[in-house]
Amino acid sequence: MIQHIKVHEVLQQSVAGFYADLVTRPTGRAVRESIERALSAGTIAVMDFTGVGCLDYSCADEIVAKLVREKVRVLLLRGTTDAHRDAIEPVLLGHGLAAVCERPDGTLDMIGAREPAAALLEELVAQQVAARTPGGAIALTAA
Amino acid sequence: MTRLVEVPAQFDDRSFDQFAAAYAQATAGGERLLFDAHAAEWASPYGLVGLLAAGAAAGRRGGGGGGGGAERPLLTVPASAEVVSYWARAGFFREAADLFEVHGKVPKTKPATESEVLLPVTPVRAAEDVHVVVSTIQQRASAILAKELGLDPKATMGFAMALSEACQNIVEHAGSGGWVAVQAYNWRRKLARRVVVIAVADAGVGFRHSLEPSQAKRFGDRWGDAAALEAALIQGVSRFRDPGRGQGLAGIRRYLARWEGKVAIRSGTARIAIVPGWDDDVPLRNGLPAFPGSQVLLIIPEQGSTQA
Repeated sequence: MIQHIKVHEVLQQSVAGFYADLVTRPTGRAVRESIERALSAGTIAVMDFTGVGCLDYSCADEIVAKLVREKVRVLLLRGTTDAHRDAIEPVLLGHGLAAVCERPDGTLDMIGAREPAAALLEELVAQQVAARTPGGAIALTAA
Repeated sequence: MTRLVEVPAQFDDRSFDQFAAAYAQATAGGERLLFDAHAAEWASPYGLVGLLAAGAAAGRRGGGGGGGGAERPLLTVPASAEVVSYWARAGFFREAADLFEVHGKVPKTKPATESEVLLPVTPVRAAEDVHVVVSTIQQRASAILAKELGLDPKATMGFAMALSEACQNIVEHAGSGGWVAVQAYNWRRKLARRVVVIAVADAGVGFRHSLEPSQAKRFGDRWGDAAALEAALIQGVSRFRDPGRGQGLAGIRRYLARWEGKVAIRSGTARIAIVPGWDDDVPLRNGLPAFPGSQVLLIIPEQGSTQA
């Protein structure tokens, strides 16, 4: 089963004040704890960043890296901008972790450390959550 | 008795050590301080937030020799009406009113909405303040960063990210509040082009004190303000044991490297800088006049040829 997280919605529910930006450790911690309460351990999760403005390194570490490290089996990032990925990539690399990133055309890319990233894509294909396209890319079959 | 601390006529990161020396000398006696800015002709955002940090530290030490009293230091405003007006529009006096007994006529001007002041002097005490700073800068700065500095519009988000991390250093490490200011102006000293300058200052515990429990042993005899700055900026260490910590300054460095920017951090008696090709600053200075807290300077130049 794939679980879905709309990060902007979680942000609105977790932090007082109407913020679109994922900045500061306390904000990241509040958002992650909300997400953790809704997620089953070892799951495949789709995390949708649509509507999120600035994402800083502190929040990228507090949310993405800690979920990948401690909670989910595969984290698939959707709706990310270049700036979001600029924050997430070094944080994942620093931990030797990886996530899967969905491009706007629906195909999947890796983000973070190369070895675990390749294993994640293989796992998605093995679980039949994703499949190879005729062009050789990998795209989700569901979700 | 009152001890005088002269504010340099051109008050920026270059003249800051002169100011810090005057501050260190004046505080030695424990008397009330008078910050004399009457001859000030210009102050960069770094000078303005640094002056607030000095005021905060002077107020905390209680002045008047009373030991822990609440007597505020004195501040004489610049003699030039034009300079006073600019400091007011930059948001300086709004914050100074809480820290100093201000002497001189201050115009009742709201902080500027003009293009040069991207973010007026803004207090940073908690995570909520960082949210406000990041939100404000995105609304005001994106057009200026793109049009005036020639930055890719996508770079605006990285700018906000760098600003966020710089401000969070105050919240997480200073042990006290601080201030941030962002301005765009012509930087004639070495570059003769537009720059955006982020200045962040606090009068808190400083990098050495913050990192001492986790790093002092590792550095041994070398431990001090310079080693602490080197550990934080170059090695990305943090006082927290969480392995994800220490990313903020590393992220700032990456962002500035991409846009040929400069970062300099002064704390205690040392100052460290990542110096781009267009600048002639010294990477590490030690043995400077002691000054409370930490002062961070980020400069992003107009894009194009960057020959000095």
